[in-house]
Amino acid sequence: MTRSARRNLRNGLLFISPWIFGFLTLQVYPILYSLRMSFTEYTGFNDMVDVGLQNFTELFKDELFWKSAYNTLYYTALAVPIGVVVAIVLAIAMNQKVKEVSLYRAILYIPSILPVFALSFVWIVFLNPKFGLFNRIGGAIGLPTIDMLGDPAWTKFAIVLMAQLGAGGPALIFLAGLRGVPVEMLESAQIDGAGPVRRFFSITLPLITPVILYDVIMGLAMGLQVFTQAYIITSGSAGSGGSIGGSAGPQDSLLFYVFYLYKCAFQYSQMGYASALAWVLFIVSVVLALIVFKWAKSWVHYESE
Amino acid sequence: MVMCACFFLPFYQMLITSLKTTEELNAYPPTFWPRVFVWGNYAAAIQYIPFMRFTLNSVILAIGVTIGAVMSNSLIAYGFARIQWAGRDLIFFIAIITIFIPFPVTIVALFDIFAKIGWVNTYFPLIVPAFFGSGMYIFLMRQFLMELPKEISEAARIDGANEAQTFLQIILPLMKPSIAVVAIFAGVACWNDFLTPLLFLNTEELYPLSIGLQFFRSEHNVAYSLLMAASAMVVFPVIVLFLAFQRFFIEGVTVGSVKG
Amino acid sequence: MKKNLMVALAMMLVVATGMFAAPTEITFWTSFTPPFSDYLQKMVDTYNQSQASVHAKLVMVPGGSTDVSKLMTAVRGGTGPDVYMLDRFITAERAADGVLTDLTPYIKKADPDMASKFLPFAWSESSFKGKTWSLPFDTDTRALYYRADLLKDAGIDITPLDAKNGPITVDKLKEIAFKYNKTDASGAYTQVGFIPYFAEGWHYTWGFIFGGKFADMKAGKVTPTDPGVVAGFQFLYDYAKALGPQKARTFISTYAPPNNPPQQDPFITGKVAMYITGDWNIASLAQYAPDIKWGVTYLPVPKAGDKPTTWAGGWSFTMPKGAKHPEAAFDFMRWMTGADGQKMYTQLSSHLPTIKALASDNTLFTGEHAFFQQTLSFANNRPALPVGALYWDSLTTAWNSVTDNVATPEEALSKVAPKVQPKLNKFLPLQ
Repeated sequence: MTRSARRNLRNGLLFISPWIFGFLTLQVYPILYSLRMSFTEYTGFNDMVDVGLQNFTELFKDELFWKSAYNTLYYTALAVPIGVVVAIVLAIAMNQKVKEVSLYRAILYIPSILPVFALSFVWIVFLNPKFGLFNRIGGAIGLPTIDMLGDPAWTKFAIVLMAQLGAGGPALIFLAGLRGVPVEMLESAQIDGAGPVRRFFSITLPLITPVILYDVIMGLAMGLQVFTQAYIITSGSAGSGGSIGGSAGPQDSLLFYVFYLYKCAFQYSQMGYASALAWVLFIVSVVLALIVFKWAKSWVHYESE
Repeated sequence: MVMCACFFLPFYQMLITSLKTTEELNAYPPTFWPRVFVWGNYAAAIQYIPFMRFTLNSVILAIGVTIGAVMSNSLIAYGFARIQWAGRDLIFFIAIITIFIPFPVTIVALFDIFAKIGWVNTYFPLIVPAFFGSGMYIFLMRQFLMELPKEISEAARIDGANEAQTFLQIILPLMKPSIAVVAIFAGVACWNDFLTPLLFLNTEELYPLSIGLQFFRSEHNVAYSLLMAASAMVVFPVIVLFLAFQRFFIEGVTVGSVKG
Repeated sequence: MKKNLMVALAMMLVVATGMFAAPTEITFWTSFTPPFSDYLQKMVDTYNQSQASVHAKLVMVPGGSTDVSKLMTAVRGGTGPDVYMLDRFITAERAADGVLTDLTPYIKKADPDMASKFLPFAWSESSFKGKTWSLPFDTDTRALYYRADLLKDAGIDITPLDAKNGPITVDKLKEIAFKYNKTDASGAYTQVGFIPYFAEGWHYTWGFIFGGKFADMKAGKVTPTDPGVVAGFQFLYDYAKALGPQKARTFISTYAPPNNPPQQDPFITGKVAMYITGDWNIASLAQYAPDIKWGVTYLPVPKAGDKPTTWAGGWSFTMPKGAKHPEAAFDFMRWMTGADGQKMYTQLSSHLPTIKALASDNTLFTGEHAFFQQTLSFANNRPALPVGALYWDSLTTAWNSVTDNVATPEEALSKVAPKVQPKLNKFLPLQ
C-alpha cells in the first residue's frame, strides 16, 4: 500500500467514522438479534424456542405471505416509475423562471409534509365515488365511476396516487440537481438551435442521472416497505366502528408486506415469524438493489469519475 | 398552474374542513366553501391538547435532528465520494442496504439498547442517532458530491490543502443545495414521525405534536374539524421554514455555475 | 392563647408530615384519548384523593387496541407502566405472551370472593389457564338501531321493530329493509335500508345470531365451520347477493367511507335506516343528531320465537410484568374496576359496567341505555383464546370474501382453522 493510499484510507475512515460508530453500536446488534429470532419461536417475553428453519418453510405455505408479497411488488412496480416521472416534472415546474416561483414551489411541496394521518382523511374524501372531486372530474369527461377504495382492483392504485402527493420531497432533490446543470451548456445548446425538449433530453437528463438512481433506490426501499398509508386508511376499517382494525382493505388488497409483518410482530406476538418475514424481504430487497446498481452503471454519469 | 391546483387541493380541503361548523360537515354533497367560518375550531384545537407544549417539543426535536443529520451526513458522504480508499465501495453498499431493513423487528432490540443505557423517556434516542448519519441521506449527498468534477479537489491539493481543509473550504460551500435538501428532509421526517417518539417517550409532557394529533381520534369517533385545524397548524411552521430554506437552492446555483 | 398556638403548630406538623410522607407513585397507561381519557382522569383524581398512600398518574399512549408494540418494547426494557388498560378479549393472548403479571395471588389476598362480584362472561375473558390476568372494566353490547321517522315516512310499518314485541326475524328485517332501498339513474344506491355487515355486523355478530359456536374450549379447538357460524355467513352471502355486492360496497364508500366524520354517519344522514352497533352510539347520536327520531331493538333472530342474542366486549385493567409497585398498582386497579370506579365510569361514559351489583342497578340507566343494560343477561362473548387477534383477523378475511361474494361461506371459513389452529395447539390445554 502506497503512502497516499494509506493516507486516503485513514482519511476516508475518519470521515465516515460517525457512521461506523452508529452502525456498530445501534445497528449491528438489532440486525443480528432479528436474525437469531428468525430461527426461533418467540413472543418477545417468554423463552426463545429454537425451531430451526421452520419459520422459513412455514412462510412459503402461508397464503397471506404470498398475498402481501404480491400486493407489495405490484405497488412498487407502479409507484417507482410513476414516482420518478412525477418528481422530475414537478422539479421542472419548480425551476421555472417566473416571479412567483417560490410560491409555486411551496404549493407543490406542501402535500408532502402534511401529516399522513390528516392527509389520508382528505384523500378518502377526494376519492369518494360520488362526491369526491376525482370522480366528479372523471364523470364530467365521461369516465365511469370508480370506487377507488372499495374495489379491490383499484385500491393499490389509489395508494400509488396518494404517494404522488408526496412527490414534492423527491422533486426537491431533482430541483437541486437541475440547479447544478451549468447554464452555459444550456445556452450554447439553445444557440445551436436545440428546442427545450431536446435540451432536456440531451443535456439536463444525463446530468441528473445520479439523482435518478438515488430516487429509484429510495423508491424501491419505500415501495417495498410501504405501510403507513394503508395502515391509517384501513384502521378506521370500512364499515366498522369496532375497536379493532378490520381487514387490510377490501379482500386484503391493501395488506402490504410490512403491514403483515407488523401485525405478526405486534398483534399476534410472533416475533420469530416476523423476523423470518423481515429477512426474506431484506434479501429480496438487496438483490433488487444490486440489479438496479448493476443496470445503473450503463446509464448513470458521474462528473467525478 | 393545473399542477399547482392539484397539489394545493388536499391542503385546501384540510383548511376548509377545519373552518366548518358541525352542521356543515353533515352536508351532502360536501361544500367547497364554508358557509360560516369557524375560527373557533383553531382555538378549540389548541385547548384540546397541550398544543404549545407539544409544539415546543417538536421544535426541539426537529432542530436537534436537523443539526445532527446535516453535520454527520455531509462528513460521511464526503468520505464516501471524494476520497478513494480500499474497501470503500463495499462499505458504502452496506450503508445503503441498511435502508432496506424493515423496522418492526429491529426496533425491539434497538429499544433494548436504549433501555440498557437508561435513555428511555428522554430525547436522546430520538436525536442522537441522527448524529451517526443515515443510509438514505449519505446516499443522497454522495450522489451530489460525485457530480462535482475531480479537478476541484485536485486543484486544492496542489495548493497544499489537506483533506479537512478541502472539505471545509472548497467542497462544503458547494454542497449547499444538498445540505438544504437533507435539512428539510430530516427536519420534516422528525416533525411527522409518530412511532419512534411513541415508543421511546412515556410522559405526556415530552410528547411532540405528531402524537398529539392522535388525541383527536377516539375509539369510536374522530374530532374532525379540530383534527384538520390542528394539522393545518402543524404544517404552518414547516411552510415558513421551507420558504426560508429555499434561498439555499438559489445560492447553490450561483456557486455551482462557476464550475461550468 | 399560647396553648392554642401550640395546638395549631402541632396540627400543622401533622398535616405537613401527611403531605411529605410521599405516596407511592404509580404510572397507568391507556390508549384512550379524549373524551374517554378525561373520564379516566377524573376517576384517577378521585382515587388519589380517596387515600394518601398511592398516587396514580395517567399517561395517554395512543395506538390500536390489539397493538402491543409500545407495551412490549417498554416492558422488555424495564420501563413499562404499573398498570395498563387492555382490550379484555386480548387478555388470554397477552398472558400467553408472558407480558402480564398473574393477579391470582393478589386477588386471594385482597378479596378471595372477587370473581363472584363480576359478570361471569367478563371474568372468564379475564382468565386464562385457570388464573386471572386482568380485572374486568366496562362492557358494551350490540343491538339494532332503526330510524323510526324515516321508516314511517317511507310508509313502512315499524311495529315489528319495537323491542316490546320481541326480536324481529331476519327475513322480516330483510323484507322491511329492501322497501327502503333507492337507486339513482345510474343504478347506484342512494339509500339502503340495512346492510347487515356494516358497522358492528361482524362475523361474531352473525355467527352468534345463528347460534354459532366459535371455539370448543374443552377440546382446545377453534370451530369456524360450526353450522351456526356457516348459517350466519350464508345469510350475509345471500343478503349481499340480493343487494349486489359491488353496488353495496360503492354505497358504503360513498356514504360511509373509512374514518368518516361522526356527523356523516349514514344513519344520521338517513342513508341507511337501520344498522347494528353498540351502546356507545347513544352518546354519539345525542351529540350529533339530537333531532332525529330513532329506536333500538334486539338483534334479529333466525326464526320467530328464538331467544335474542348479542355479544359483549369491553376493557380491563392489567399489571404488566416488571411493575415497580405491584401492591400499590393492584390497589389502584381494584378501585378503578371496583364498584366506586365502575359506577363513576358508567355515569360519565354511558358504557355498561361489569360489576353485577351495578349492572342490575336500574337507577344507573335511563332511556335506551336501559335497553342495553338488560341485553347483558343474554350476551355472548368472544372466546378467550391466546390467538384472539389472529382469529379475529382470519375471520375478517373470510367475512370479507363472503360479503363480496367471492367465496362461499364454506370455502371462506374452511381456510380459517388451518391458519389459526396450529398456533393455538401450542397453548393446549386451555383449561
